[in-house]
Amino acid sequence: MVLVLALGDLHIPHRASDLPAKFKSMLVPGKIQHIICTGNLCIKEVHDYLKTICPDLHITRGEYDEETRFPEMKTLTIGQFKLGLCHGHQVIPWGDLDSLAMLQRQLDVDILVTGHTHQFTAYKHEGGVVINPGSATGAFSSITYDVNPSFVLMDIDGLRVVVYVYELIDGEVKVDKIDFKKTS
Amino acid sequence: MLKGKLKLSAKAPRVFPDRIGSLVSGFDDKEDENGESDSALDFESGEELEILQPSGAGSGREIEDGYVDIMEGQLESRVRQRSEKDGSGLVSVKEVIAADEKRSDLEYELSQKEINLEKLQRIADSGLPEGRGLRATTWKQLLLGYLPPSRDLWEKELTENRQKYAKLKEELLLSPSEFTRIKEEALDSNEQNADSDVDGPLRRQEISHEDHPLSSGKASVWHQYFQHIEIAEQIDRDLQRTHPDMKFFSGDTSFSRKHREAMRNILRLFAKLNPAIRYVQGMNEVLAPIYYVFSTDPDEQNAANAEADSFSCFVRLLSDSVDHFCQQLDNSSVGILSTLSRLAELLKANDEELWRHLEFTNKIKPQFYAFRWITLLLTQEFNFQSILRIWDSLLSNPFGVQDMLLRVCCAMLLCMKSRLLTGDFVANLKLLQHYPDINIEHLLLVARDLSPDTSSYRLSP
Repeated sequence: MVLVLALGDLHIPHRASDLPAKFKSMLVPGKIQHIICTGNLCIKEVHDYLKTICPDLHITRGEYDEETRFPEMKTLTIGQFKLGLCHGHQVIPWGDLDSLAMLQRQLDVDILVTGHTHQFTAYKHEGGVVINPGSATGAFSSITYDVNPSFVLMDIDGLRVVVYVYELIDGEVKVDKIDFKKTS
Repeated sequence: MLKGKLKLSAKAPRVFPDRIGSLVSGFDDKEDENGESDSALDFESGEELEILQPSGAGSGREIEDGYVDIMEGQLESRVRQRSEKDGSGLVSVKEVIAADEKRSDLEYELSQKEINLEKLQRIADSGLPEGRGLRATTWKQLLLGYLPPSRDLWEKELTENRQKYAKLKEELLLSPSEFTRIKEEALDSNEQNADSDVDGPLRRQEISHEDHPLSSGKASVWHQYFQHIEIAEQIDRDLQRTHPDMKFFSGDTSFSRKHREAMRNILRLFAKLNPAIRYVQGMNEVLAPIYYVFSTDPDEQNAANAEADSFSCFVRLLSDSVDHFCQQLDNSSVGILSTLSRLAELLKANDEELWRHLEFTNKIKPQFYAFRWITLLLTQEFNFQSILRIWDSLLSNPFGVQDMLLRVCCAMLLCMKSRLLTGDFVANLKLLQHYPDINIEHLLLVARDLSPDTSSYRLSP
């Protein structure tokens, strides 16, 4: 039972000042084993804050990140699943499922996590899952201003992953759940 | 040397049946006999004791009973074991023979169809012999009320309890992911399967606020799980520190790890079932003797199920003293402070001089030293074998464990009387918090002979 937090596109301090208070109160240290962050934090303070929630932090570089040494893409294995991480601005058209599927095949992963569109999506495609955790601060994107803060928590348990989607809608935290079983 | 005395072997068997006969009918003879030999073991006068050297066979020693020579060869090995276990070289030969009789006596009692609880208690009070799983059986069966007196029902009770334990483990030690998975499978198994073959956007299900991993709701499975993790960590830390000198508990062997794992399950289960007290540091020490005795039972089936049996007995044992662990009840009439004042009253009733000295001259309150004695049932004060011996008496007291516990504590104070009377606050506190090694039989004898404290007995309307 491994808990993996996936979030990104915070754009602190340029487009947002902080995570929503309700999100911050939920993210306490000790519960989460890994954090994967799609990018665009943008400053070191946010990186440090995420480190306090969980020491195992994986970040890929977004186009506005001030830390230039983050990798463009990353793969990691957690339990029985291979996860791939990329910010998503490199994949054109942005948010296009087929292009993301190409990236998934290239990285050879079961779950691909990308961001950049600031919209939560979760697709099942050819035996794998493509997840976009959205923007954790609700920062505006180049595509749209209407962004709900959201992030994703994955519970990896053997061959099954349960994806909990946390969204802040009208000031209230709404939690949804998605189930996914790996076939092999 | 043995050859000359062989003719006396005819005499030896004759002595035994007589004793057993007198034992079955009434205990008085044996108690006197034990009383004598026990007083002979008083650490102040050791003239009557024979020091049997395991190596020296022909060192001209004065022996009271002639037939001992013959038995000496057989008893020597056992005596050597006993002396090593007791940590002292002083062993009375009479005592060894008495131990053998006790063993056969105990076996006789346990083989009855309807066990006589009183008789068993009396035998246990004088110390249970090692080996052949007698201690395990006695503790389990009757002293802790785990098994009913009627022998025929033992099998059924045991299997029932063990199954109950297995079920409890399954239910309560589950991780939340497994829990939610099982819940879902029960609800809508068909719909899930249909989805998994179709590509495209994944179906989202709205869930209530308690069911997600980051929830802090009291009813949330996840929240309880994370709270429990803290307790589990503390249990782990304490288990690492249990009896570090014993290979059974400590070290990195798979043997000791298996035992720690079993004890961890028991303690975690107890903490889950009792949210009011959860786990308190020290419960591992109370569990240790029980688990040790049960899992060193030579009977294979019993040893394999030691975990389940220990859990039930542990729960029973703690049910008496559970109020001592609850902080809110500290000042109430069932809390630890009240028990400590009962100890002080008992000391006052038996030895006012010592009580006055401790209470007023030294200003040492019982809280300072006896807290650990009482809550942990003396497991931290003596070495392991002594603990087992003391627990024999504690568990076999017909008036309950707490009553005997207070007596033993009081006896501990009385045995140190001379040193306490001459000590000041610091010296006495140091003495009582690191209680020195003394002869356990003597201690228990003093405890038994104490006059009960009648000041707390109220006339019921």
